[in-house]
Amino acid sequence: MQILKEHAKPYRRDIFFSILAVMVMAGASLWQPRLLQQVMKAIIADNQHQVLTNGIALITLAVIGLIAGVINTIFAAKVSQGIAADLRANQYRKIQSFSYGNIEKFSAGNLVVRMTNDVNQIQQLVMMFLQTLTRIPILFVGAFILALITLPRLWWIVILMVILIVLSSQVVFKQMGKYFAQIQKLIDQTNTLAKESLQGVRVVKSFNQEENETARFTANSDELARVNTTIGYLFSTMIPMFMLISYVAIGASVWFVGHGVVAHPDDLAAITSFISYLMQIFFAIMIGGMMSTFASRGFVSLGRIKAVFETTPDVTYASDAPEVDLSGDVTFNQVSFTYPGDTQPALADISFQIKAGEMIGIVGATGSGKTTLAQLIPRLYDPTTGDVLVGGVNLKKINEQSLRQAVAFVLQRAILFSGKISDNLRQGKSDATPADFQRAADIAQAAEFVNRYEDGFDHLVEERSANFSGGQKQRLSIARGVVGTPKILILDDSTSALDARSEKRVQEALDQELAGTTKIVIAEKISSVLHADRIFVLDEGRLVGVGPHHELLATSPIYREIYETQKAKGGDN
Amino acid sequence: MQDFKRAMHYFYRYLKRYWLGLGFVVIVTILSTYFQVKAPVYMGQAITELSRYLGEYMNPATHATASKTPFYHALEAMMVCFGLSAATMFISSFISSRISAQTSGQMRVGLFGKLQRMTIKYFDTHQDGKILSLFTSDLDNIFNAMNQAIFQLLSQLALFIGVIWMMFGQNVKLAWVTMASTPLAILIAWFVIVQARKNINKQQEATGEMNGYINEQINGEKIIITQGLQQASIAGFAPYNEKVKQATFKGQVYSGMLFPLMQGLSLLNLAIVIFFGSWLVVHDGMDKATGLGLIVVFVNYSQEYYQPITQITSIYNMLQLAITGAKRLSDVHDQPEEVNPANGHQLTTLQTGVQLEQVHFGYQPDKEILHGVDIKVKKGEMVALVGPTGSGKTTIMNLLNRFYDVTAGAVKFDGVDVRDFDLQSLRDHVGIVLQDSVLFTGTVADNIKFGRPEASDEDMIAAAQQANIHDFIVSLPEGYATKVNDESSVFSTGQKQLLSIARTILTNPAFLILDEATSNVDTVTEARIQAAMDNVIAGRTSFVIAHRLKTILGADKIVVLKDGQVIEEGSHEALVAEKGFYAELYHNQMVFE
Ligand SMILES: Nc1ncnc2c1ncn2[C@@H]1O[C@H](COP(=O)(O)OP(=O)(O)OP(=O)(O)O)[C@@H](O)[C@H]1O
Ligand SMILES: Nc1ncnc2c1ncn2[C@@H]1O[C@H](COP(=O)(O)OP(=O)(O)OP(=O)(O)O)[C@@H](O)[C@H]1O
Ligand SMILES: [Mg+2]
Ligand SMILES: [Mg+2]
Repeated sequence: MQILKEHAKPYRRDIFFSILAVMVMAGASLWQPRLLQQVMKAIIADNQHQVLTNGIALITLAVIGLIAGVINTIFAAKVSQGIAADLRANQYRKIQSFSYGNIEKFSAGNLVVRMTNDVNQIQQLVMMFLQTLTRIPILFVGAFILALITLPRLWWIVILMVILIVLSSQVVFKQMGKYFAQIQKLIDQTNTLAKESLQGVRVVKSFNQEENETARFTANSDELARVNTTIGYLFSTMIPMFMLISYVAIGASVWFVGHGVVAHPDDLAAITSFISYLMQIFFAIMIGGMMSTFASRGFVSLGRIKAVFETTPDVTYASDAPEVDLSGDVTFNQVSFTYPGDTQPALADISFQIKAGEMIGIVGATGSGKTTLAQLIPRLYDPTTGDVLVGGVNLKKINEQSLRQAVAFVLQRAILFSGKISDNLRQGKSDATPADFQRAADIAQAAEFVNRYEDGFDHLVEERSANFSGGQKQRLSIARGVVGTPKILILDDSTSALDARSEKRVQEALDQELAGTTKIVIAEKISSVLHADRIFVLDEGRLVGVGPHHELLATSPIYREIYETQKAKGGDN
Repeated sequence: MQDFKRAMHYFYRYLKRYWLGLGFVVIVTILSTYFQVKAPVYMGQAITELSRYLGEYMNPATHATASKTPFYHALEAMMVCFGLSAATMFISSFISSRISAQTSGQMRVGLFGKLQRMTIKYFDTHQDGKILSLFTSDLDNIFNAMNQAIFQLLSQLALFIGVIWMMFGQNVKLAWVTMASTPLAILIAWFVIVQARKNINKQQEATGEMNGYINEQINGEKIIITQGLQQASIAGFAPYNEKVKQATFKGQVYSGMLFPLMQGLSLLNLAIVIFFGSWLVVHDGMDKATGLGLIVVFVNYSQEYYQPITQITSIYNMLQLAITGAKRLSDVHDQPEEVNPANGHQLTTLQTGVQLEQVHFGYQPDKEILHGVDIKVKKGEMVALVGPTGSGKTTIMNLLNRFYDVTAGAVKFDGVDVRDFDLQSLRDHVGIVLQDSVLFTGTVADNIKFGRPEASDEDMIAAAQQANIHDFIVSLPEGYATKVNDESSVFSTGQKQLLSIARTILTNPAFLILDEATSNVDTVTEARIQAAMDNVIAGRTSFVIAHRLKTILGADKIVVLKDGQVIEEGSHEALVAEKGFYAELYHNQMVFE
C-alpha cells in the first residue's frame, strides 16, 4: 500500500480530476431517475412546459455524464499507465542494484513475472479503482438515499434487499476467493509443465515419454477444468439468485404501492424511479463484490512487488571509494564461502596470491568449487569469511567502476544477448572500435566465422542465440571478455565446446596479445593449463595443491590422478 | 475471413460433442430473454391498470365499480416472468459454464498432446515463448470468450431482436423513434473499436518486446553484473517501458471510452423517447392512462434496446481475441506429426548393426549440412565421431533417432530403414545422452527414473553409481527426494551431465549415443564413468561424440567428420599414423611427458 501511495503521488492532480469526473458521472446517473419521475408527473399533469424543461435537463445530464465518463477514462488511463511505468522502472532499477545472490534467491524467472504480470495486475487494479470502484460507493449511497426519499413508505424493502444480497454475496465471494487462489496455482503448474516439455522435448521423445507427459499434464488440466466448472456453477447460481432477490423486491414494491394507492396517489409516479434505484443498488453491490475479488488478486501482486523493493542488496559498493587503475594482482586471505541456504561450505579456508601478468590454471573434480572460487573475484558473491583483494584493494572497499574495468569473466555457459554481434562485444568495452572487434575476434578464433557473414559484426544474434553452434557461442563470449583488454581475465571452462585445434589457437593468441593480463583459466583438460605459471588444484572446496605442472605431478596425488586420465596412450609417444 | 473460417472449424471440432447441451442452452437463453423482455410489459400494464383504477376510484360515477383485479393479474404475470427468467438463466448458465470449462480443458490437453506428437523441426524453428503463449494467452482468451462473450452475444442478440419485436407490437411510431439513433451509435462504436484494436495490437507488440528484453536481461544478469552494465541496462529498458506506456494508454482510452459513450447515447435516446412520447400522448389524443403506461414501457425499452448495443461493442474485443487464438491453435493442429509407419517393424534387439548410407541432409532445403555420409557400426562396436564444431555430429545423431529424416540416402538398423520401424520401438532401443542436460521439476529420483518410471530404487541407485553421482546425491540433506527444477543450482554444470547419464543408463538401451555427454565433467570422474560404462557398453553398440579425444581412444573405429563429410576413418593407431586431420587434433590436445 505504501508503495502504491508513493507511486501515486506524482499523479495527485490527475487522480483528483479522474475522481471528480467519476463523481459527476455518478451524480448524473443518480439524478436521471428523478428527472424521469418529474417528467412522468408533468405528463400526468399534462404540463407541456414542464415536460420540455425536464426533457432538456435530461439531455444536458446525458451530455454531462458522457463528457465526464470520457474525461474519467482519459485521466484514469493516464494515472494507471503512469504508475505502472514508474513501478516498472523503479523495480527494474532496484533489481539492477541486486547482487547475483539476491537474484538467485528470487530466481530470474520469478523476477520477470514480478516485472511483467504483477505490474500488469496493479495497473488494472488502479484503472478499475479509478473507473468503477469510486463510483460504486457513491452510486450505492446515493441510490439508497434517493430511493428512501422517492418512496419513504417502502424504506424497509430497500433495507431488506440490501441485507439479503450483502449477506449472500459475502458467503459466495468468500468461496470464490478460495477457488480463485486454487486456479492461479493450477494455471502456474500447467504452464510449468508445458514449458518444461518444450525445453526438454528431445529428452521426452528419446525416452518415449510422450504419453506419460500427456498423462501428467492431463491430470493437472482436468483439475483445472474441475475448479473452473465449480466457479462457473457458483456464478450461475449467484447471479440468478441475486436477480431473484431484486425481482422480489420490485414485485413487493409494486404490490405495496397498489395496495395503498388510494391513500398515496403520488406513489404512482414515483414507482418507476424507485424501481430504477433498486436496480442501481443491486448493480452497485454486484459490481462492488466482483471488483473486490479482482482487487484481492491485485493486492497479492502488490505484496510480491513490495518484497522486491524491500530487499536490500547484499553486495554494495562504497560510494566514496576513489576510482583507481587497479593492477592485476589477486589475493585470497583465508576465504571460506557457503551458498545461502547450504550447510556445507563450497570453499574452505583458501589463501593465495596471484601476481599481475601471471597465468593460473585451476583444475579439480566436478563440483569441487572452481566456478565458486572464480565468482568471488568479480564479486558476484562476497566470501562468508576472509577477504578477497584485487590490485591490492579489498573488494569490500573497492570502487565498482574500477573493479569492472579490471576484471573480465567468461562464463561456463555462454550467454549472448539478442541484437548484433557488435552489441554483444561492446558490452566488454563501450567505446570499442571496429579494429577492437577484429582484434578480439581474432584472439577468440571467432573471426573465422564472423568474417564469413556478409554483414560481419552487424550479424544478428537471435533469441537464445539459436543461430550459433555451441562452439561459436563460446568463442563470441571469449571475444567479449578480451575486447576491453582487462587486467584480469577469468575463463571458466570456456573452451569445452571447442575442437582441439581452435582451442590451441585461442591459447596462443591470448599469450601473445594479452601478455600483461593476469589469466585465470579453469579447465578440465590438463592441456589447457599445462603452460600456466602455476596450477591450483581444488578438492571439495579446499586448495590442495599449488605449483607448476611438473612440480604438481610430483607433489599432488590428485593432480597426478587427473593427469593420468589424460596422458597420451602408451604406444604413441 | 479465412481466419474466421479456420477459427470456426476449430470451435466446431471441440464443441460438436456438446451439440445437445449447446442446442438446449440456445433455446433456454432465448426463453430467458423472452421472459426478461416480457416482464416490464406487465409492469407497465400493472401501473396502467393501477392508474385507471385510481381514476375510476376518484371519479364518483365509477367509484363503486373500480376494481384492482386487473392490476393484480398484471402483477402476477410480471412476477411469473421474473421468476421464469431467473430460472432459465440459471439453467443456461449452469450448462454453459460446464461446457466452457470442459471444452477449454479438452483444448488444452488437445494442444499438449498434439505438441507431443509433432516433429522436432517444429520446436527447432519456433520460439518456446511463442508456443507457450498458446497456453497462457490464446487458450485463456478462448475460455474467457466462451465463458462471458459467446453466450452473452447470444442472449444480447435475442434481447435485441426481442425488444424490437415487442416495441413494434406496442406502438410503431414510438418504436421508430427509439431506433432512430442506432446508425449513429454503430458508426461511433465502429470508429472507437477500430482505433482501440489498432492500439491494442500496438500495445501487445510493445509489451512482447519489453517482456523479451526483461527476460533476457535478468536471465543474463551474471554478464550484466560482471561487466558493470547495470546503468546501461536501465537506460536500455527506458524506451521499451515508455513505448508500452504510450501504446497502452491509447488502447485503454479508446476501449474505456466505449462504455460511457454508449451510456451517454442511451440516455440521449431516452430523452428523445420521452419528448416524442409525451408529444404523442398529447397530440395523438390518447387517453392519459394509456399514454402514461406507454411511456413507462418505452422508457424501459429504450434502455433495454441500448443494452445489447453497449454490451456487444464491449465484448467485441474479447471475441476478436478468441477468434485470433482459435486460428493460431488451428494452425498448430494442422502441423505435420511424426510419421509412424503403419505395422512398422519392431526393433527387438540389434542383430547386425547400424548403417548410414550416402546420407544427405539439410535443415533448410537450400543449405545441405551432410553431403553423402557413409558410416557403418557393427553390432557390439563402439564408434567415435570427432570433428570441428559445426561439422554435423549432432546432426547425425538427430537422424539416428529420427528427430529428422534424411533428404537422400538412408539410415538403417539391421538393414532396415529407420523410416520403416515403429517409432516407439526404435526409440526404446536407442538411448541418447544429449549435449545439453535438462532437468524436470520433481525430485532427483523422478529425474533419473524419467525414462522408466516403474524402475525400482535399487536399479536407480545402481545407475547413479555407474554415473558417479550417487555419492553427491546422498550427501544432499534430502538425498534422492531433493526437489529440483531446471533453474535450480544445487548441481554444478558437470553434475547435471552426470544425472542425464544415469537417466540413460537406467533405460538399458541396445544402441547408445553419447553426444558430448561429459564435456563439463572432470576427467577423473569421466574415467570412472568410463570404467563403469565399459560394463554397460560391453556387448552394446554405441556411438560416441566427443571433443575430448581421450574418451574415445578405446573406440573400435573413429570417424572424422568435417564440413558434413567423412574425411578419415579407422582405429586410433591407424589415424595417428596417417598424420592427417585427426593426428593434428590429437597432438594439439594430449599431454606428453
Ligand atoms: N548457486 C548455488 N547454490 C547452492 N549450491 C551451489 C550453487 N552453485 C554450486 N553449488 C554447489 O557448490 C559446489 C561447487 O560448485 P561449483 O559450481 O563451484 O563446481 P565446479 O567446480 O565449477 O564444477 P563443474 O566442473 O561441474 O563446473 C557443488 O557441490 C554445487 O552443488
Ligand atoms: N536446428 C537447426 N536448424 C538449422 N541449422 C542447424 C540446426 N542445428 C544445427 N544447424 C547447423 O548445422 C550445422 C551442423 O550442426 P551440428 O549441431 O550437427 O554440429 P556439431 O558437429 O554437433 O557441432 P558441436 O561440436 O558444436 O556440437 C551447423 O552449421 C549448425 O549451424
Ligand atoms: Mg563450474
Ligand atoms: Mg553437437
